[in-house]
Amino acid sequence: MTRVLLYKRFERFWHWTQMLLIVGLLITGFDVHGSYHILGYAQAVDFHDAFALALMVLIVFAIFWHFTTGEWKQYIPTRKFLKEMAEFYLTGIFRGAPHPVRKSRTAKLNPLQRLAYLGFKLLIIPVQVTSGLIYFFYPNLNAHGWPTWTLKVAAEVHVLGAFLLLAFLIGHVYLTTTGTTPLTNLKAMIFGWELMEEEE
Amino acid sequence: MLQTERNGATTQRPSPSEHPPEAVRDPGPSPHRTEGGASRLLATGTRLLILIGSAAILSFNAGAAAPQGSTGTPGEHPYLEAHIKAAQRYTADHTQFQALKGPFPDGDGPAVTKACLTCHNQAGQQVMGTKHWLWRVPDKKYEEYGKGGWLINNFCISIRGGNYPACTKCHAGYGWKDSSFDFTKTENEDCLVCHDTTGDYMKDEAGLANPAVPLADVAQHVGRPGIANCGGCHFAGGGADATKHGDLDESLLNCKIDEDVHLSKQGAGMDCVDCHTTEGHHIAGPDYLLPANMQETPEYPGQKLGHMSCASCHGEAPHNSFVLNRHYRKVACQTCHIPEFARGGLATNMWWDWSTAGKTKDGRAYEVRDKDGDVTYATIHGSMVWKKNVVPTYRFWDGRMSFMLATDKLPAERPVWLNQTIGSYNDPNSKIWPFKVHEGNQPYDTQLDKLVVPHLYGDKGSGALWVDHDWPSAIKTGMEIAGLPYSGHYGFVRTNMIWPITHMVAPAKEALTCVNCHSEKSRLAGLKGFYLPGRDRSRGIDFLGWAAVLITCVAVVAHGSGRIFFKARKKRGSK
Repeated sequence: MTRVLLYKRFERFWHWTQMLLIVGLLITGFDVHGSYHILGYAQAVDFHDAFALALMVLIVFAIFWHFTTGEWKQYIPTRKFLKEMAEFYLTGIFRGAPHPVRKSRTAKLNPLQRLAYLGFKLLIIPVQVTSGLIYFFYPNLNAHGWPTWTLKVAAEVHVLGAFLLLAFLIGHVYLTTTGTTPLTNLKAMIFGWELMEEEE
Repeated sequence: MLQTERNGATTQRPSPSEHPPEAVRDPGPSPHRTEGGASRLLATGTRLLILIGSAAILSFNAGAAAPQGSTGTPGEHPYLEAHIKAAQRYTADHTQFQALKGPFPDGDGPAVTKACLTCHNQAGQQVMGTKHWLWRVPDKKYEEYGKGGWLINNFCISIRGGNYPACTKCHAGYGWKDSSFDFTKTENEDCLVCHDTTGDYMKDEAGLANPAVPLADVAQHVGRPGIANCGGCHFAGGGADATKHGDLDESLLNCKIDEDVHLSKQGAGMDCVDCHTTEGHHIAGPDYLLPANMQETPEYPGQKLGHMSCASCHGEAPHNSFVLNRHYRKVACQTCHIPEFARGGLATNMWWDWSTAGKTKDGRAYEVRDKDGDVTYATIHGSMVWKKNVVPTYRFWDGRMSFMLATDKLPAERPVWLNQTIGSYNDPNSKIWPFKVHEGNQPYDTQLDKLVVPHLYGDKGSGALWVDHDWPSAIKTGMEIAGLPYSGHYGFVRTNMIWPITHMVAPAKEALTCVNCHSEKSRLAGLKGFYLPGRDRSRGIDFLGWAAVLITCVAVVAHGSGRIFFKARKKRGSK
């Protein structure tokens, strides 16, 4: 066994900042939506806008990082071991079967993770950013002739996206406990290092 | 940096003469919809990026948006300073003019006017073309618009049922006691009602000067109209103080800053005519044909009649928040900054039911007052409801109104709206504006299906309602005097009027906050057909969303318990 730096410093910074911002966006967003009133509409809107701006800046840096480091390749979907992974979560994990995919520095995501995170990056985030921008700039867009139903559609898509994000977050947090020990993956994400078998 | 959209800012409002009645009822095409769509979208896209930085950062300040400038300590405000020294600004001392020495015969207003006109020899002709003199739109084509025309109102209904002497107490002229009044005689104009600075001037029936007024003294102390001059009539609209408008009453003469930041001496200490600027005796302000200025164009006050706007003084971006400033496209300043009307302690009339008028006690007229002293029943007026601190009704409005005339057939809908706002959410020139909706119940001809103009004011035995207390003869006489056909059959019909609220602007700290509109308990609950964040949501999407979250939670709990269960069993097994 050897210690491998699975998540580099920027990656961890990006992950946890994104986590804080998304949780902040969810809390303030559902406040704006009226699901509850914690901050109140005015403050919730202000914080939501600020968090959204920060997240977009972070995303720009993350995209740059992924491409310059080639880390984007980690997210290329594969069918290899896909069935095995599904079987592992459905049955193997209860029997205490070994994890079917071995992590390595160059392939740290299992095929299900690849699909989930790629969906997150290419679907949920872009939909939320786009619908959020349209929502925010609706008055200006409307002045340019965008139809009035734009706001309703943008708002409803944004709300639906937020629910999916919340569901994703719950599943994501739970699945971190499926490592060697329940806290293995969490520790790796915090400190970067994970114990692995020797790479061949 | 803050590039809010200025669409329509340069749109010319039609002048009365190029404003046919068709246009009054049919808003024209929107000016910016004609632009090419695709290139606009691209331009918008690039602008988004530029905007976004400033936008979100500035929106951070929204909650803390403080009013710019101080709320004003008396005597320190530059505007008030100018007024304190107003007397020094006059270039003529009227006490020194021989023509004004008098003495004038008691109550002889025209004698004073003649004296005024010896120097101001163009003023007579100027006044002759104004609304204050004509009580009609100064445009031959639409002259039936105006209280001197065939307009019907919810208060004393119409001047034309022979009610001239009572109504014309507020006419800027002398002697309009019937339809034969000569509108071409300059000496019948009343200079003093607007220009008296002593407060001693009073008008009687038919607008004649009260014989007790010291005419020479008043004439020697004329000046720029103050709040009391305008208010003398405009506060009393509807027949008495605070009756009609809701945002104009005598409390404004000496109000605290909380009631009106502009007129209060604790605030800007302004006069009506600081905004309602005047040119050749034409006073700026919207009327039956001239729409209110909805675009808040930062023109200076009085640049164009009817074009005074908040932005004339406050600029285009008065808030420290991008998001708030941007509201002006759909929300008039008045909407947030006049949280309630009738805030000066005086209740305004909200309901006037003429159908109950005429009841007497022991053959005598009587009235009933509530604990605040407001008349809830009067033999001569019927039943009334008065309210203070009223939350306005909100409408999308493009600044224009349509009006019903006494000669129009009643529409099918009830209540009948005697005037109606024009505008809609989809119209780029329309904004949410606060209104007072006044409800009434007034007589109409059940056979001809038209409103009637009753004879209210007159001598005993003339049929006038206020002395004879008899509806059938009041209506018959009124219609005869008006020269309108009447079937002899009358009933009562519910009639509404709607008045834009624009005065009684509150200090910034008392303006509405987000949740007054952006919440489930929105003040705008009555405005439908558009998505309002915080007020509106899709129940279907909420259901789907919570279902997805719940299913995820159930799956997580089930999966997790399964793992714990099997792990525990395995442990036991291995032992």
